[in-house]
Amino acid sequence: MSEADYKELKKGGMMRQAEAGLFSVRLHVVGGRLATPQLRAIQDAADRFGRGEIHLTTRQGVEIPHVPQDALAAVKEFLAPSGVGVGVCGPTVRTVTACQGRRVCPSGVIDSPELAVEVDRELYGKPVPHKFKVGISGCVSNCMKAEENDVGIKGWIEPRWEESACDFCGICEAVCPTKAILLSAGDGKLVIDPALCIGCGDCIASCPTGSTREKIRGYRVFAGGKFGRRPSLGKRILEVLRTKEEAMAAILAVLDFFREHGKPRERFGDTLQGTGFPALETFVKERTGLP
Amino acid sequence: MTTPLLDITGDVCPMTFVKVKMGLQRIPPSGTLSVRLKEEALKNVISSLKTEGHRVTNVSREEGIFLLDVTKGG
Repeated sequence: MSEADYKELKKGGMMRQAEAGLFSVRLHVVGGRLATPQLRAIQDAADRFGRGEIHLTTRQGVEIPHVPQDALAAVKEFLAPSGVGVGVCGPTVRTVTACQGRRVCPSGVIDSPELAVEVDRELYGKPVPHKFKVGISGCVSNCMKAEENDVGIKGWIEPRWEESACDFCGICEAVCPTKAILLSAGDGKLVIDPALCIGCGDCIASCPTGSTREKIRGYRVFAGGKFGRRPSLGKRILEVLRTKEEAMAAILAVLDFFREHGKPRERFGDTLQGTGFPALETFVKERTGLP
Repeated sequence: MTTPLLDITGDVCPMTFVKVKMGLQRIPPSGTLSVRLKEEALKNVISSLKTEGHRVTNVSREEGIFLLDVTKGG
């Protein structure tokens, strides 16, 4: 088999192993969620075509290792009826990761699996200059490590201050983990620095009078993160977005930017080193009308 | 009658929460319990009080220690 053939197989989720003739078959998983019949089918496939082993990947994926080359088509066919597709590799949009989100997690701010499914439907496997990862955290505790992804999303609570109810007790200022709140009781003023605020909502949860309140319960977008050989963290862009549709529009626009500016085999974070983040923000804002 | 005082400055979560809950059990509805606590306990204690229908009606502080008056709900 030629290198080009291996490359094509890899793009389709069939990863050549160190041992000649064997492949690790990557499966299509969204947000780490599988139904039990799917799991049973994967189990059976691993027994039948592999060596009864399953590998859980770092990004919530599943692979069946030790599948001989002549069984690759059969394993795909075997899994299809249970709705388990084969994954992707190469310069494509990769597995979309997500936590369980607000439907399951008491800390959850957004329905992260719901957004993950949508992003996956629109973008999974689509060609891009280099691998492109999307990770969605339901809140700023950030279990899905948004900043490690080319695009990361975090559920975010933006607070606002309602002057009339405030008795300047100072609790919000004391609980704020980033000292984003500055209270001057003498002047009757409270200022929340949006640059420092990390969207945790602790000020709101602990306010005795209800004067710090939710302004937006939404989506915060981070761009340009990656790990690998030269890790760098994604930076936040745009204002806090209010809806899943807005988040989706932002992600699509970010990808368009990458397609326009990214060189082949250049990770998005490196592209942004060249263009700068303001260029990305301007592009996304112009394309989507988002704040 | 003086307001009963509960000092949880020496406790950490979840005992802070448990002690406040137990303290409030000894208070009649609409009665007040004063709670002395450290800054790091504020968020969890107040958010759980609010969730359970109690109200923080007064706050004072002294050198990093907060004193909350908690009025027992329903």
